[in-house]
Amino acid sequence: MREKFRFEQTISRVEYKESILHSFHRSNAIESSFRVYKDGKVGIHYQVGEMSDEEGYALAVENLKERPRPYPFELETGKRSRDKTEREVTDKELMDIAKECMNYLCDKYPRFRYSARFEQEKSVHMRTNEKGMEYANTDCAISISVGYKHMDSKDILDGSFNFSLRDFDIDVFTKMADNYLANYEKAVELPEEVIIDTQYYGLLGALDSHLNGENIALKTSLLTDKIGKQVFSEEFTLLHDVSDEECWFNCFWDGDGCVIERDKQVFIDKGVVLSGYADKKSAKKYNIPHTKNAYRTFSDIPGAGGLNLRIARSNKTVKELLDGRYCVIPVICGGGGFEDNGDYTMPVQSAFLSDGEKILGKLPPFTIVSSMFDMFGKDFIGVGADNPIYNDKQILFRVRKSDIL
Amino acid sequence: MYQFSKDLYADVRIEEIYELWLGVKNGELDSDGMVRERGAMIRVFDGKMWYTSTTNKLDEIQKELDNLAALATPNPDIMNHPQVKKLEVHTEEVIRFDGERDVRNITRAQWKALLDSYIDDCIDKSITEMGIWFVGTSCSHKKKSFYSSKGAHIEQDMQECSIAMWCGFTVDGVTTYGGKGYVELEPSKLYGHEEEIIKERDRYLDFARHAVQAEPGVYTCVLAPCVTAMFAHESFGHKSEADYMLNDKTLQEEWVMGKKVGSEKVFFCDDGSMMNHGYTPYDDEGSKAKKVWLMKDGVLTGRLHDAKSAMTLEEDLTGNCRAQSYSHFPMVRMTNTYMAAGTDDPEQMIKEVKDGIYVYMVQHGSGLATFTMKPSICYRIRDGKLCEPLRVNVLTGSVFETLFEIDAVGTDFEMFNAYTCGKNGQSAPVSAGGPSIRVKKLTVN
Repeated sequence: MREKFRFEQTISRVEYKESILHSFHRSNAIESSFRVYKDGKVGIHYQVGEMSDEEGYALAVENLKERPRPYPFELETGKRSRDKTEREVTDKELMDIAKECMNYLCDKYPRFRYSARFEQEKSVHMRTNEKGMEYANTDCAISISVGYKHMDSKDILDGSFNFSLRDFDIDVFTKMADNYLANYEKAVELPEEVIIDTQYYGLLGALDSHLNGENIALKTSLLTDKIGKQVFSEEFTLLHDVSDEECWFNCFWDGDGCVIERDKQVFIDKGVVLSGYADKKSAKKYNIPHTKNAYRTFSDIPGAGGLNLRIARSNKTVKELLDGRYCVIPVICGGGGFEDNGDYTMPVQSAFLSDGEKILGKLPPFTIVSSMFDMFGKDFIGVGADNPIYNDKQILFRVRKSDIL
Repeated sequence: MYQFSKDLYADVRIEEIYELWLGVKNGELDSDGMVRERGAMIRVFDGKMWYTSTTNKLDEIQKELDNLAALATPNPDIMNHPQVKKLEVHTEEVIRFDGERDVRNITRAQWKALLDSYIDDCIDKSITEMGIWFVGTSCSHKKKSFYSSKGAHIEQDMQECSIAMWCGFTVDGVTTYGGKGYVELEPSKLYGHEEEIIKERDRYLDFARHAVQAEPGVYTCVLAPCVTAMFAHESFGHKSEADYMLNDKTLQEEWVMGKKVGSEKVFFCDDGSMMNHGYTPYDDEGSKAKKVWLMKDGVLTGRLHDAKSAMTLEEDLTGNCRAQSYSHFPMVRMTNTYMAAGTDDPEQMIKEVKDGIYVYMVQHGSGLATFTMKPSICYRIRDGKLCEPLRVNVLTGSVFETLFEIDAVGTDFEMFNAYTCGKNGQSAPVSAGGPSIRVKKLTVN
């Protein structure tokens, strides 16, 4: 049985360094994985660049003889094609977008220097096999990333903002630039009650690891023995969602070729841990539910992973969730993270105070102290129904502040 | 070989990449892959901006060059542009990894045998707390060809290989992960580390069993050589990358050459010619590696450049313009960066601390004005002696202050290869080094 993965990607990119146009870049990439399955084994040939099917499968057959890798599972089948493209711009249009944005920044906020990247990516993922599978996923978006440094600052970077759009709108850019830069020079104090307002992807890594079915089975997860129990806030629901509109270039199938029902799989429902996740291999090995969560790899056999985790939104806006309180927008934070026991410590080098919509001023550095169980448990406030600060989903949770700076 | 437009500067960087990896988790083959890849970056400069593209079709490089040249504005005086004038022209072949040293000549069976021997020697299944373990090996080889319209033609190779083991020890429901890995340029150096790996495994097991949480505060810290290495990279190394300050008077004044920014015991250096993980005989603009003293006696003496920063700051090229791969534009990066050895006895450094923390190992760090390091293993120092293992969440300090707080620099210098630096979305292999040092004040959380 033969199977083929194919990835086509076109990138156009305009870069500014220190507010000056630096470069225009264009690339076209094609990658293929030719796979031949026989007697519970698979041979793989991974190719960067074009290669004919005949040659690719011949090399996969050779690989099967030399390096047979175990894959004792039935191939999947199904037909589905998804194209999220809303608008594709030409290289000239991308240059014009970059110029318009940079002119806005340099004219309106000349006391900063900017390093910026304006990139359009179009990608097509395909998976086909002799059992009849024909899957394709196409996406196209413009991603903008702006790093800023104040002229008086002795640091090498004072912050950044970035977002992606499938249909670029200059108003989204100017609104975000105004929000981040207009009150930058206004110093404000950290409120007594510290509520963090941030994009949550970086925070979900710990949950991803502890929800891994293998870790649960081996008792190396903090969620071992907590399946079916109320562990987190009743407001907290966590799911794998391959149709999340704010995820970019993601496929609807997993590394094993499986597609989940309604594109969604809930792991934590209203604070109750329902199950860990597993691919075919780990489900079989540990006798745990197969949740169709395998990461995709072109050069190897898949393993458990590849989640597009999202926290279910509240029906309240960010401002409504705050209910008159202020929140803290971390802009530069790094070097800390989650501890083995779930504790979380993160130095915040740069942050803003916000009312949930507008940025009000710049805060002094401080250190966040929390834990995985608190930020998604007793301290969890919610994920707003709207995207006011980041043009993306944002989580609100209370933290303690370390007094040691 | 290529036809370059006379009114534009252009260069072509071709890379042939080979990678192989094998990993065994809890006794089962977990990863087993191999990649061969060829690609090129083509760059054209008209004096105002760069036009670049990447391709895997090496027979279409000339076409790409011509397409980019058509986008650029011809500049008859391009060769007199100060940035172009800065670019070095070398014609040299620097092939260091051929024959038995070439990782491509080692079969998968040989890699598997290496892996299995470490599993046999280092994995002790009688350790009841060991819930999960992994042993992996990998190698990569890269051959790079560089051509420029100024006449440069460089052929060079780089490679690395590794062996690593990590375990998860579960005590009272909490799993502590730790292990040890070696990244080397030559496969022969991957052998014979069993004792050190076992010692490290047992150290993590002891840590999992006995570590207590550190009280937040400001402590005198003694950093082990591998921690100093990361400190050198994060606390100061990034500030020596000149691309951050090209048109920024504030930074230029803050980091002006000759300024004293640290203790007289502090010497920093970057050297891409060292046969370590950051080995870069020629950078991705074709400049030859140079040993650059960034700081001597606590005084700024040098910084790292690409052609643009060297032109702007009117300094010499240093060979530090590096890209992650052919699909990335090069920028100023560190190579092999270290704090030089001092004259202090490392044991005496600890003996002189009444109440402090010994930082034995760190996981990662970051390096802005406030630098951070996330330790994996620390020990309490009381009355000059190492005491109980400590869990420390994060160490922070101000780069403007901490370099003055170093009051002892040890003789026990070591280089560490297992580092990868991330900057502006690109990762780069680097090494970092240093001796034990003592810092009078670091913030512990």
